Amino acid sequence: MDFSFLTRADIMKTLLDGLLVTLEVALFSILFSFICGIVLGTLRYTKIPVLSHLAALYIETVRNLPLLLIIFFGFFAFKEWGWELPITISVIISMTIFTSALVGEIVRGGLNSVDKGQIEAARASGLTYVQTLWHIVLPQALRRMIPPMVSQFVSLLKDTSLAVAISLPELMHNAQIVYSRYYNMTVPLLIFVSLVYFVINYSLSQASRQLEKKLAG
Amino acid sequence: MRKWCTLLLIAAMALFGAACNGTGGGGKIADDNSLEQIKQRGKLVAGVKYDTHLFGYKDPADGQVKGFEIDLMKELAKRMLGDESKLELKEVNSKTRIKLLNGGDIDLICATMTISEKRKKEVDFSRVYFMAGQSLLVPNNSPIKTVHDTKGKKVATAKGATSGNNLKSVEPGAQIQLYENYADAFTALRAGQVDALTTDDSILMGMQQQDPNFKLVGGQFTKEPYGIGLKKGANELRAYVDQFLDQIIADGTYAKLYMKWFKQAPPQDLPRQAVQASPGK
Repeated sequence: MDFSFLTRADIMKTLLDGLLVTLEVALFSILFSFICGIVLGTLRYTKIPVLSHLAALYIETVRNLPLLLIIFFGFFAFKEWGWELPITISVIISMTIFTSALVGEIVRGGLNSVDKGQIEAARASGLTYVQTLWHIVLPQALRRMIPPMVSQFVSLLKDTSLAVAISLPELMHNAQIVYSRYYNMTVPLLIFVSLVYFVINYSLSQASRQLEKKLAG
Repeated sequence: MRKWCTLLLIAAMALFGAACNGTGGGGKIADDNSLEQIKQRGKLVAGVKYDTHLFGYKDPADGQVKGFEIDLMKELAKRMLGDESKLELKEVNSKTRIKLLNGGDIDLICATMTISEKRKKEVDFSRVYFMAGQSLLVPNNSPIKTVHDTKGKKVATAKGATSGNNLKSVEPGAQIQLYENYADAFTALRAGQVDALTTDDSILMGMQQQDPNFKLVGGQFTKEPYGIGLKKGANELRAYVDQFLDQIIADGTYAKLYMKWFKQAPPQDLPRQAVQASPGK
């Protein structure tokens, strides 16, 4: 077990560069898929003709496709359509396409979990449909959405490593570059990288637990 | 409702298909004036490996991409455009390289790509610039000297590669042990769990340079000729690359680079044309 890379500035720098790309891609994908997911989920929930059907169609299509396929798609298809995108942007788009469908389902589930009696009561007291949605349903639903949403974002962060397939220079990719050069460090590097992923994701879950407690109290 | 969804889905797929065919395959870089375009642009874009020791690898020490293939490309840029800094490197892997070439993202592929009949249908190849072949890596004091000495011995290789079958068809008595990847196989060899490791000598040489307690034996029992991949029909560029390779072989530059990376003189009998050949097929 050769853990000597821990003291080598060059290797740690390579890994850190990778980690920054991983975090950058994950952060933007989380942000965009959160916004798109809320829109999609709400549309599907509202039963507005055509719009809610389109949202349903999108969600059902995308969540039944493998993420790796969407990553390859984002990488090659945009090029063929003449959009020259940097590789990080193409991965962010792919991750957003995929995760917003799943977030959409979480949002719809959250909205559905709000008691119908409350909606009727709100409407009866004179609130419009949109007001009811905004002031009554969404705040309650959002609180229930936090745990599944966070676990979705944790898997998003882990799944950025799939973009190794198109050579995105993220954490996993840079670890591979190092151990392809220093064979004897393969297993120690994998152990180290798993620790890094674990620490980040575990902190994320812990933060969400705190947030839940705060909102509940 | 369900009918509606199915219809929409079919419509979406049809639209999507049309979009793919519509603008797809538009050659931005390599056409008949493939060479002229590079010269006008003043930049040569080469698809190379970042993770293959000795050929194309990113050195963690300084973040630079280095290797035999990188030096070849630098030399090509120097002779074509007058300056090696006019070379732009793009990382490719075996899944992305042909697509990136045909999509116009790169001008050529120099990434340990074996010339095979199947690939020849998708891309054009330059002349052979490196002849790899399957060989054996053993400890310096090993009794194994030829392929047939592996009879009854444990030989490591990676899962998914054809190396195991190739060795079996030359020496049926060899006991193949499969590992997840070459790093694991090499670890097993160093721990003495196996007697030898078999795969392309280009990979074995990289291991051998990391640990001089091991040596290559048995010669090459398959042929893996590496060629530079070019877009189909980019004849002008291919002629230039062929001429470039002939030139550096003739003027000693090739031998210098070969010595720099592989610590030995290049083979004298490097063929111009060759295709992948293995006893396993």
